[in-house]
Amino acid sequence: MMVGSLVGSLAEGFKIKLPVLMVFIGCMVLSNELLSQDTADVEASAAQVPVSATGSQPGGEQTSVDVTSRHEEVLKSNNKCLRCHKREKTKLMENGEEMSLQVHGESYINSAHGQILCTSCHESIGNRKHPSSSTNITVNNQRDYSLELNESCRQCHRTKYTEYKGSIHAALIAQGNTKAPLCSDCHNAHAVESMADYQAETGQPCSRCHVNIFNAYASSVHGQARMNGNTIRDSHIQSPICSDCHKSHQVTALAIGDVLRTTCINCHENVTLLHSQWLPNSGTHLDIVSCAVCHAPFAKRRYDLHLFDNQTQEPVEGNELLQEQLQAIVDEGVPGDPMEIWKSRGGIEREVTDISLRSRMEVMSGIAAHQIANKSFAVRTCDSCHEPNSRQSQNVTVSFTQADGRRQSVEADREILSTIMPVNSISDFYALGGNPNKFLDYLLLLALFAGVAIPIAHFSMGRFIREKKAKGEE
Amino acid sequence: MSTLTEAQKQSSAMSNVQEKKLYINPLPVRVWHWINALGFVILILTGVQIRYPGLFNIMTFETAVKTHNWVAFTVIGNYFFYLAFYLFSDKITVYQPELNVKKFFDKAFRQILYYSYGIFRGEEKPHKVLPHDKFNPLQSITYQIVILLLMPIQMATGIMMWDVKRFAVPIEMLGGIRNVDTVHVLIFIFFVSFTMVHAYMGALGHTPSAHFKEMFTGYEED
Repeated sequence: MMVGSLVGSLAEGFKIKLPVLMVFIGCMVLSNELLSQDTADVEASAAQVPVSATGSQPGGEQTSVDVTSRHEEVLKSNNKCLRCHKREKTKLMENGEEMSLQVHGESYINSAHGQILCTSCHESIGNRKHPSSSTNITVNNQRDYSLELNESCRQCHRTKYTEYKGSIHAALIAQGNTKAPLCSDCHNAHAVESMADYQAETGQPCSRCHVNIFNAYASSVHGQARMNGNTIRDSHIQSPICSDCHKSHQVTALAIGDVLRTTCINCHENVTLLHSQWLPNSGTHLDIVSCAVCHAPFAKRRYDLHLFDNQTQEPVEGNELLQEQLQAIVDEGVPGDPMEIWKSRGGIEREVTDISLRSRMEVMSGIAAHQIANKSFAVRTCDSCHEPNSRQSQNVTVSFTQADGRRQSVEADREILSTIMPVNSISDFYALGGNPNKFLDYLLLLALFAGVAIPIAHFSMGRFIREKKAKGEE
Repeated sequence: MSTLTEAQKQSSAMSNVQEKKLYINPLPVRVWHWINALGFVILILTGVQIRYPGLFNIMTFETAVKTHNWVAFTVIGNYFFYLAFYLFSDKITVYQPELNVKKFFDKAFRQILYYSYGIFRGEEKPHKVLPHDKFNPLQSITYQIVILLLMPIQMATGIMMWDVKRFAVPIEMLGGIRNVDTVHVLIFIFFVSFTMVHAYMGALGHTPSAHFKEMFTGYEED
């Protein structure tokens, strides 16, 4: 009875229909595996009973019958919908455009959702409440409708959906971005497919939006190895695809703090040791130099000075106002340390000592970050960063972290790296030779001059005195 | 005088030599000095290469940094060898500072006058070199500053920059890596002048090579 009431309340809670519930109970009794899954996944299993379940359930004659009958019922119900929706039907939206209402039945039935009722997702269009000319529903635009339906994915795919909500894609959508992908943008709306079989050649679905980045990846050591079906270092690890570094649902921009390095080290686990064998101060290099700076040998590089909150020990989270203010400083062409200028403009409300500029070496773009070459092409000429002239071609940016975790950068005057003024604000950053302090250069010249002039002066004075003495004696 | 036998002449000459030759610099000091001298030259050259990679092409940046590190550690080891020698030797008296300020300035002034005038007129040195008191007041104050103050600061800042991650705490206490580097470079700049003037003054003995020979043999010949 206890189990019955529990299941009853579950069914009520998740609005599972009776036949579905029966299948659910059958599976629950017969499969120990299902018992170990969390509520959401159990629910998911109930909603998407796989076709193969009939063959794999041990001694489940009753279950097979139930599953088959359920499939038939789903097909019957869905066919009712398809009867009309297989035709080329459209709906006029509020924005004046037409939205296609056509569903290709075959591709739907063969999709991962083939055994799911249409009304499981289109809840508002149940049998008894299908919109008609009298009870029409209004749709502003297709994006809005997709956004509304996106919530329905959560019913079954709760874990994945929660991951997605923490992604850069969801953050962009929350900011009002109209291009960031919804579930259906990657998985398709009706021809729903699992993305487990990634297409290394095409990079779908990521390359649909990130085509330039995918092209960079495709020609990189990672992309080439993946397309050639190679495994890395003779081990079982396969060369990474997009989701291996960026995650498939909780999609992350890697240019945040330590994420990139950690991601690289996940596979290249002996990186720290290998670098420490030849690279002086290897720990610091790995901390402040982005992997691609050396491993994408043709990429343009930049010094990125990011605003760092010393109080919370976190990067400063900025907003549009901050960006505008920094951009204004740059546009005015004021040379010098943006921190100093920003302070004088009252850009920092708190104690000025609480915020400093910390620096990293980064590549110029996301595209460059993906152009990772074979190890033998990696840059090992220290001069390419430590030589001031090679620096001239490299840019300087001041960046802050946006609420969604991405960096927003503003280009800055490169003079800030070699003036005396920023000693306080960028005291943590110094590349030997790369940004020498000019005052010290003059002092060294003076010291060299003194080293030569003092002996010459003393020697000449000696000669003069000796000659004078010799004349006196004459 | 003409009545002296040949043997008497020889014996007199021998005793003169014995009187004039003083064993001032014992072997450990000479070894320390020359390792240090060579070390300073290499450290200055590699230091310039590291600081001005665009200006000079003596060696690659990587070689310069690695050589600088290795030589620096040799010089540091050498420093402790030198320190141990003086701490366990009665020769430590050569570094005894003149605590009487008036006396010190008086002697230093006389030394300055000697360097700027008397030395060229062949006047007698105001400071008599002795094994336990070999430095004149100017040398004494200079070496005390260089060896007991500047070298330890240079070694400490150098070690911090050798592994900035390991020494993050002291670097933070000093206000960041730029400050540490600035101190290291300021002392380096002083050492550039010091080494050049030091070599020149080494040639101011009774013959230009006298002091150099002295640093090899240990005997002061004045």
